[in-house]
This record gives sequence, C-alpha cells and structure tokens, in this order.
Amino acid sequence: MHPFEYARATDADQAVAVVSADPHASFLAGGTTQLDLMKDGVLHPERLIDITRLPLGGITHTDSAIQVGALTTMEELAADPVVRERLPFVREALLFGASTQLRNMATIGGNLLQRARCRYFRDPTVGACNKRNPGSGCAAITGIQRMHAILGTSDHCIALHASDVAVPLAALDAIVHIQGPDGARPIPLTQFYLPPGDTPHIENVLRHGELITAVEIPLLGEGTRSHYLKVRDRVSYEFALTSAGVALAIEDGLIQEARVALGGVGTIPWRAWGAEDVLEGARAGADVFRTAAEAALDGARPLPGTAFKVELAKRTLVRTLETVAGALS
Amino acid sequence: MTTLEAGTIVGAGLDRVDAPLKVTGAAQYPNDFSFPGMAHAALVGSTIAAGRMRGIDVTDALAAPGVLTVITHLTAPKLERGPMTLLGGSPPAPLQDDRVLHYGQHIAIVVAESSEQARHAARLVRVEYEATEAVLDVDDPRAEIVENPWGLDTERGDVNAGFAQSDVVVEGTYTTPDNTNNPLGLMTTIASWHGDALTVHDSTQWPHNVRTSLATIFKVPESGIRVLAPFVGGGFGAGLRVWSHVILTVLAAREVKRPVKLVLTRPEMFTSVGHRPNSVQQIKIGSTRDGDLVAIEHHGISSVAMEDDDYEPVSVGSAVSYACPNVLTVDRQARLNIPCPGSMRAPAEGQGSFALESAIDEVAYAVGMDPLEIRLRNYAEENPVLGLPWSSKALRECYLEGAERFGWSRRTPEPGSMRDGRWLVGYGLAGVSYPFYQVPCQARASVRRDGSAYVRSAATDIGTGTYTVMTQLAAELLGLDVTQVRFDLGDSDMPYSPQAGGSGLTGALANAVHAACRRLVQEFLDVVRDDTESPLRAAALDDVAVTDGRIHRITDPEQGESYVDILARHGLEELSADGRSTPPRSEELGMAIAGAFGAKFVEVRIDPDLGLLRVARVVSAIDGGRILNEKTATSQIVGGTVGGISQAMFEETATDQGTGRIANATFGDYLMPVNADVPDMDTLFVGGPDRATAVGTKGVGEIGLVGLAAAIGNAVFHATGRRIRSLPITIDQLML
Repeated sequence: MHPFEYARATDADQAVAVVSADPHASFLAGGTTQLDLMKDGVLHPERLIDITRLPLGGITHTDSAIQVGALTTMEELAADPVVRERLPFVREALLFGASTQLRNMATIGGNLLQRARCRYFRDPTVGACNKRNPGSGCAAITGIQRMHAILGTSDHCIALHASDVAVPLAALDAIVHIQGPDGARPIPLTQFYLPPGDTPHIENVLRHGELITAVEIPLLGEGTRSHYLKVRDRVSYEFALTSAGVALAIEDGLIQEARVALGGVGTIPWRAWGAEDVLEGARAGADVFRTAAEAALDGARPLPGTAFKVELAKRTLVRTLETVAGALS
Repeated sequence: MTTLEAGTIVGAGLDRVDAPLKVTGAAQYPNDFSFPGMAHAALVGSTIAAGRMRGIDVTDALAAPGVLTVITHLTAPKLERGPMTLLGGSPPAPLQDDRVLHYGQHIAIVVAESSEQARHAARLVRVEYEATEAVLDVDDPRAEIVENPWGLDTERGDVNAGFAQSDVVVEGTYTTPDNTNNPLGLMTTIASWHGDALTVHDSTQWPHNVRTSLATIFKVPESGIRVLAPFVGGGFGAGLRVWSHVILTVLAAREVKRPVKLVLTRPEMFTSVGHRPNSVQQIKIGSTRDGDLVAIEHHGISSVAMEDDDYEPVSVGSAVSYACPNVLTVDRQARLNIPCPGSMRAPAEGQGSFALESAIDEVAYAVGMDPLEIRLRNYAEENPVLGLPWSSKALRECYLEGAERFGWSRRTPEPGSMRDGRWLVGYGLAGVSYPFYQVPCQARASVRRDGSAYVRSAATDIGTGTYTVMTQLAAELLGLDVTQVRFDLGDSDMPYSPQAGGSGLTGALANAVHAACRRLVQEFLDVVRDDTESPLRAAALDDVAVTDGRIHRITDPEQGESYVDILARHGLEELSADGRSTPPRSEELGMAIAGAFGAKFVEVRIDPDLGLLRVARVVSAIDGGRILNEKTATSQIVGGTVGGISQAMFEETATDQGTGRIANATFGDYLMPVNADVPDMDTLFVGGPDRATAVGTKGVGEIGLVGLAAAIGNAVFHATGRRIRSLPITIDQLML
C-alpha cells in the first residue's frame, strides 16, 4: 500500500476544509471500498481523513420521509422499523447486498459512492482504463464482459454501478444532502450520478472535498407495495447480474403510481422512466408488464458477453412487477 | 499380511483430535510463525504473457523505506531445476533468464522490514518488455501439441467397427474451464538459514519433497534441511509441488542472511500454485437398442504450461468404467503461455467424468432406458483394461442403496415432467470411480514408560483428518485409549511420507502405521523372549493381542503383562519400531486393485424464466473400502461434493484472450458456493475393507467431487430437456 497520513476528523466543517484544500486527501468512512482500492494500488491518497467519529449517524423520521445520516450502516438502516414497514424494497436491497460483516461496516454515504467492481478498473497492471487513467482506453470492452453494464454505457466505459440499495433509492427520488466548503446543498439521487460519456473518471456531481451528510428517503404511500428482486449466479454474496426495484400503487386493477429502477445493467442506478410511463394508468397484467420491460431496456447496448442480460433484465422486471401486483391482488 | 481386525476405535466417528487447537486458534499454520529479525518479501509478477524483459529498473524500489534487497534475473544466482518427483518434473526454477512465459510470472522478489514496505516497493519495480503474441487457446494452431503425454492412451477392440454395429450413437464436445485450487490459507513460506542448514515453514502437502527439492536447487545436504508443516490451511493439490515462490523465499533469506517470510496474495494464488487446466473433450458412444454399450471413443485435450509437466489424463477413466468391447481413449496437451497447471482435487477424473457420465445419460435417453438401469446393465464386473477381478468393488451397492435413499423410483422419465410450482424439477445421477494410488511410506511408533504412545510420520493433514484417523488406528493396534496416543506429522525430520494427494496418503500411511505398531509389539515380545518372569516369554506376535495397554495371549488372556511393567522391569525408558508400507501390485496379487467407487444422485430445481439453478439435494453412496472414521470420511465426501457443485455451477478462472491476464483473480469475482448454495447432503458408505492391503482403505479425498458436474448436468437435462456440455452451468445457459 502506498504510504499515507491518517487523521481523525473532529467536526464536519473542518473535515471538508482539510480535504477541499488538499487534492491528495480523501475521506475515510467504513472503508469497505476505499481500503480495497488502496491495497490494490488503484487509489493512493496521501492523506486520509477518518470521518467515522463525526455525528452523521442515526435515522430521523417524519410523516413523509426518513432522514438517514451518511454514517448509518447498511445493517442499521435495514433494521429500522419504519424502513421495514414502509420501504420494504429498500430493506430487501440492503440485505441482498454484500455480507453481514460488510454491512456492519459499510455506510450509506459510502454505499452510494462505491466504485466500479470492474476488474479492469481494479487492477492497475491493466493499462487501458479511462476511469482510472483518463484517455488510456477501455480494456473491458474487448475483455470479459459478463458483469458489465448494458445501459448508459459509452465507447469509453462499460463499468457497472453495482449498488443494490441505490436502485430503490433512485426509484424513490431520494435526496442526497451534501456539505461543501461553500455550504450545504441537496441533490436528487437521480441527478447525482453521471453516466460515463467521454469522462468515465467523473462518476457523480460531488466536487473534491464535498461530503455526503445525509440521505433523505421519501416513504411509500399507504397501500403502495414494493419488492426488490436480485438475480445472480450464486444465492448470496454476489453482485447482481440483473435486479429490479419496483413500487406500485394499484387501485381497482389500475396502476396509479409506478416507481421502477434497475440494477446490474446500468453504469448508474437505472431509473426506468419509460417503464413507469407505460405502467401508470394502465391495467396491471402480463402484457403491460412485458411492454414496460421492453421500454425499460430501450437503448440497451449489449456486447457479446452481456447479450443475455437484455432479456434477463426484462424477465427480472416482469417477475418483480408480477410479484408486487400479486401481493396487491 | 495380517489384516486389521474389526475393532471398536477404528471406524467410530471420533471428533478430530486437533479440533481444540483449531477452534481456540492455537494451531499454528505457516503464516502464524514469526522469528526474531524476520524480514518480509513480496513478489513482482510479469504483466505480459509472452516475450522478454528488455530491462528491469529497481532503483525506486531499492530506495523505498525499509527495503533490504530486490532480486531479479539480473542478480539471481544460477539455480538448478528441482528434481524429478513421483508426480513428474519440478516447476522451472525462477529468475534464470529474461524470458516471460506467462502473465504473472515471478520476475523479482523484494525483501523489506515489513510486508507493507515490501509490497509497496514491489509496485515500484519498473520493467520494460518486448512482448510477443501469446498462445492462450488450445485451439490455437500455433500451440505445440504433446501427444499421449503419459503413455496412458488405451485401445481395445475396434471402435469404428463398434459404431458401425451400434443402433444408437451419441456424440458431443464437452468443455471444462480452468479452475483454481484456492485453499483458504494463503500459501506461505518462511525460510531461515544457519550456514548450510535451512529451516522452512511451508504450506506444503509434502514436506519431504520440499526438503529434497531445496537440497537439489541450492546444492546443500538434505540432512541440514528441515521442513515443517504441522498445519496447512487447505491444499486441494496446490501444495504438492515446490513452486517458484518457495524457492525465491529461500533464496531471499540466503541473500539477506535473515529469516524471510512470504505470504502470497489471493491474486497471486491464481498464477503461482497450479490450477486445474481447461479441457476440450470429444466423446462418442455406441449402443444397441437394448442399451448394451458397443463402443466408447473419448478424446481429451488439456492446456499445459510452456515448460512444465502436468498429469491430467482426462479420458483414461472411460477405459475402465464400463464393460464395453470397443474402447479408444486418447489424451493430448497443448502448450500455452499460461501459469503452470497442477493437480486440483480429482485431477483428470474431475473433467473426464463430466463428459463420460453426461454421454452415458444421453445414451439412456436415446434408447429409452432408465439412466440407473443402463449403468447396471453395463457394469464392469472385472477391470476391463487388466482383465482381472477387482480387489473390491461395491459400485452396484452404491447404485442400489443410493437410489433407495434418494427415492430414484419417484422419477418420471420424460424431461420436463416433474414440477414444483414455478420450478422445474430434475433428477440426475452419475456413477464414478477414482483410481487406486499408493506409494511407499514409513512411520515410527514408540511406547514410553508411562504406557503412552507416540507415533509419527512426515505426512501432512490438510484438513482431511490424518491426525485423527492415525491416532485411532495406532490406538487400536497398540491396545490403548486414543487419549494415550499422540500422532504427530508435518516435520521432514520424521520418517518418510509421501504427499497428501491422489487419495493415497491414508492408505500408504495407515499401512505404515500398521506395520510400525505390529513391529513395536514384537519389540516388547523380543524383550521378554527369555524373561522367566514374563507370562509372555517366547510368545509369537500372532499369539498375542493388546488390551488396555496390556499384551496378553489370545488363547489365555490371563497370561499377559502391561507395556509399563515390561519397560520398568527391564530398565527401559521406551521402545520404538519403524514400519514401512509398500504398495500392492495388481500383477502380483492377480487382481485389479480398486480405488473408491461412488454413485451420485442429485435433485435440481430450475426457474426457466430467470435461468436459476438450485441443487436441492445430493445423495452420495460411496465404496471407500474400510472407513477409518465415519465422521471425517463423511466430511471428505461433503467437502468433495461442495467442490463438485462448485465445478458444476460456479468456478471458472477467466483469462483475457488478448493479454493472458487472469481477469477474476479475487474471491469477489471467482465464484464458489456460499452456504446458501449448498443443499442437504446425504452420504452413505457401502462395501467393506479392500483385500489388497492390511488396513483395506481406498482413499476418499477425491471421490466426493467426481461426477457431481455430470449428475447436475443430467438433472438439468431431466428438468429441461436441455443438454449442457460446457461448465460451469450458468443462468445464461438455462433461460428457456
């Protein structure tokens, strides 16, 4: 590991000030991504500012939303009674992610900022990686593609955003609260991530030194049902090949509200706006679900190694819609 | 030969004698050792698969904090290649020239005060390469092909005439990918020199091989080298050879004149300690419409490294599996720019049985016969290659008792005919064997003045239960309680033992322990031969038994005395005896010495929309000869079964075709089953002691894995009508 300095932050303003002023400084929270990447030689910060003792944990509730401190762990959020009652697909997505040990360390802020699992990104002996080394090319496009994205890709990067919980959070229009050197600002999660385009090294709207302080998650309405389905080669402890997070409000067979997002397929957590347009106002049923799935995968750009994921993602979404609608009927 | 009598200690499911050490963390694995003044090493791997190094710049690495030395091919001494061993040649010696033969080849070792410093400095070594195009695929026309690498190709009858006579011929190409052994314990070496004397802690399955190899490579006497491996964090074949990293650690320790420790990283495990090579197999089977096999033709090609050997005859098992008059088996290897393959649990049989047992299943469907029935119908009553009766074979009982336990009769024959709600249900089976393997072994047994026994041999226990079963066996043979016996291993200063591999150690070692214990009782009888005070004077070994530490005449148990009394009266601190085992030979015994047999029954569930495959249950019926400990033997079968599920559904070492780099060399990316993937597993042992050896074991280390992939594939066919011929079986192959 590259040698680095370590300091523990005592308040958020100071942490933001220190990191903002030093281009080689980085925040450290749960460390479940950061330390791996440092050991692998992908990241080599000169200075780590440990924020884990800052008062950014805890969950507060209002009638319409919960406010989740950025240092809340995945396990803590999954165990929250309001999440269990009102956001079941958030809980499912959390518990299908990683392992208990990792979920006890990993924070929500860190989860949203997790880096690509792409083995071409994570191995510095690979020369061509636009995300790690802008302008160097993309070895993954001609490499082993099975775990890569098919939506939101570019000729410069096909790396997947592998977070599970970001999928339902994108569907819910969660809001990310950010603190920077010039003050605080809120950003909707659906505007937080940036598809790779020709700048795959820029993954989100955070500026260097900005810190996520909280995530605000709107609650589902009473009577709205939700489900998160994750499809993968083994039963647990693996990233998704495809996943779907769905919330539906159905009255008299008519879909009043649909929230749909996909995982395992996008370079960013993939809000399936097109599918929602198909579903809202339609009568719940097999045909409309399939049409919605077709719309969700519109624009997919598979490679030979990911060709199967287009159909698999559609079926995953159909199954999730059927499950949610079935629970309502 | 005096065969082991049925006793009360052997066979019982005794808990592992080393369990308390393991669960309290007191068992010391190689990377738990530390020495004063110990330095730490890290490796530098090549980042091309073929070519040469034009230059290697270690300036920055040498200047990094804590660095003691960096050794490259420019500074390394000439090293001999290790010797020929029981398992073939030794891997090439490292750092001998500027050539690169595979990605990740060790091209430098960095030694520093701490492992972090060493690893950091290793990243600072700069290499200028002159790359050439790597040969990475067995189909590449540039690949050198080795024909009949082990002289094991077989031919009987005339397969072409056989196919011409057949009513039904099935044919298919089966592929298996590279798999990587990946014991949980990262392979570790600690080397410490004192003049020409060398002490090595190593993650090895064979301490004597490490000793002999290092003596050859470093040109020092074997008598000065001691290799220790009391606990090893798993092996699966990865610890059978003296790999480059072991040699480099020993070299580094000599250079810096301090003890040096090297722990491989997980990614390095994928390039440094062997792997199961991929195979492409063509198999063709002809049958009458009644299901009598007429001809089997099986061709296999495996990959092998550019300048190394590997024993991987994938097709040869097809020659002995069925009574079939016309059989041809042909094996070849293609030399590629890949890390050295090596034995991985059930080498060759693990790949070959997938093709053979899938194809037999296909024949059964083609002739409309139950897959169980066709196997019984073509049962090889004698070894069809040697034409000799088996020393033992209870495969028929495996089939029948396994089928009963599994409920095979509930199977409805038509593919896709069994369902459970949304899930398609499939039943599959495979019948398998694992060849007999045994090589010479030695052990020493002592009884001390307090009546306790100490038995040892330079074997290893790679998690299999060697400590436990040898303790039981010695206790049985010496007439002691297991708490009075200590069995020790993992030290090359102990009597010679072969490797823990080939499912052969238990047989070799048990028969050596048997001989040592018998000779030790004889030693006691020799001491009292002319002793007028002894009720055992002039007694012959066959006339006595030992019960509760007391030797007595069999015909008159009153006539006897204890070890303690004999030693005390004769002023002796202890008595010891050595025992040797030599492998039985089929030609001499007039019977084909049999390894283990097994029948594997599998139920799968498939979600045809999402392509999800779940193994719901596995029944393994095993003929393992004498079972020394039902509990540890069952664990072997369970572990092998998990390995088989892993081979069938998960494991695939993925190599970038452009560069030869392994693209998934981490546990996050290289999949193996998690607990939730592992179903209820039911193991039953049938048959009894094999008559070829005194103890009558057959070895159960590998039979558990063999055939699982075929049984799962066959169950997938039964569930879906889709024949899968490429491992691993993944979601994209099953979306219907």
